Amino acid sequence: MNDKYLTVSELNSYIKNIIDNEEFLRRIYLKGEISNFKAHTRGHFYFSLKDENSKINAIMFMGNTKKVLFNPEEGMKVLVTGKISVYEPTGNYQIYVEDMLEDGVGNLYIAFNQLKEKLEKEGLFDPIHKKRIPKIPNRIGIITASTGAAIRDILTTIKRRYPLCKTILFPSLVQGDKAKDDIVRQIKRAESYNLDLLIVGRGGGSIEDLWPFNEEIVAKAIYNSSIPIISAVGHEIDFTISDFVADLRAPTPTAAAELAVPNMIDIINYIDQVKIRLNQTMKKKIEFNKMLFDKLINTYVLKKPLAMYEIKEQKLDNLIDRLGVNIKAIFDINKNTYINLLNKLEVLNPLSVLKRGYTVIKMKNKAISNVDKLNKDDLIDINFKDGIVNAKILEIKEVK
Amino acid sequence: MKKEEKTFEESLKQLESIVKELENGDVNLDDAINKFNEAMELAKKCNDKLKKAEAKVNKILTDDGKLEDFEVESE
Repeated sequence: MNDKYLTVSELNSYIKNIIDNEEFLRRIYLKGEISNFKAHTRGHFYFSLKDENSKINAIMFMGNTKKVLFNPEEGMKVLVTGKISVYEPTGNYQIYVEDMLEDGVGNLYIAFNQLKEKLEKEGLFDPIHKKRIPKIPNRIGIITASTGAAIRDILTTIKRRYPLCKTILFPSLVQGDKAKDDIVRQIKRAESYNLDLLIVGRGGGSIEDLWPFNEEIVAKAIYNSSIPIISAVGHEIDFTISDFVADLRAPTPTAAAELAVPNMIDIINYIDQVKIRLNQTMKKKIEFNKMLFDKLINTYVLKKPLAMYEIKEQKLDNLIDRLGVNIKAIFDINKNTYINLLNKLEVLNPLSVLKRGYTVIKMKNKAISNVDKLNKDDLIDINFKDGIVNAKILEIKEVK
Repeated sequence: MKKEEKTFEESLKQLESIVKELENGDVNLDDAINKFNEAMELAKKCNDKLKKAEAKVNKILTDDGKLEDFEVESE
């Protein structure tokens, strides 16, 4: 029975879903007056937009508020772009603002945004179409008014920085209805003057003044130019379609000249540095080669060709000496061994005891070492170291 | 030798590449001396060109297609 009752959450979610899926509400262009403006410390804007009879809550998130080029204030008339959605916790629908511009210049901003979107889709702003700006151009064409601050700023800046550069001014209207055609005509004319670079622009002014640079035919002419183009329209904060389609955007005409030509002083300094580097490199190279050469000619062989021979001679002597020492050593060792052996033999020789005063008894030429081999009256020989005595045994006394 | 005039930017680029080549060090001495001379000559040329430079006269293209001298009014 309760099944047909929705919860509040379900209802809000359902409504949010319907609104979110409504194509038209996904991209709304809305104008109104700011009220209850609050810039949150985290960077989001909370405010309402209202007219005489009605009011809608608006929120703008930080990613988008950064792009707002003015300070929104209470009561300010603005043009916003955004989507409508529902904040479910309160059931309020509100506009989520993506882009906000000051009103007062009417539909120009809308036209600007529409053309910007269109050309972007056509790929005119694609970085792959951007031509390289030459570092040191020889001939620069300038498309702007022949009087006024812009041409003066550009020419004096070029002259100050890099006077070698030739400049050709293609004088053009830069404001009013006829300006766009004039700019296009001069861009096309410039093609045949062998230029390295074109500067297209004008000084500051109101959005209406700058408008020719927001025209599609001007954008297309810039896009189709075979010469690289720097756009220089108005002041720092002014962005035009020309800026998006040009190969490089300069914030001001003076800045365009600075981007167009190098500073001569920098190049002169650079060349001086290069010369120092060259000399150092060369000096190093020569020193290194000299070192190699010195090392070579100072080698012993080249300096004393006989040295090799001397070395060998000496080596030979050395060898011979060593050989002699060796042989003598071997000889000495053998000699010592021999003498030792002789001495040992000497000790072992029984006759050698005679020298110390002992005698040897022999009988019938046989040495007698025991008395039991002898009998009374046996004849014996007593051998001394210096002679032999013949004797006769008188008595035998055995000692136990 | 080619007599074709190099642009200033080309000369400067060539100078830069010779210096880099020499600094890399894998050039033999004879070549290095030649390249050094070439580079010093290029440096001198570029330098002379800059230091002797006289400001070019600004031109304006008139509507009938003529190039005329152009002076900007001073402030």
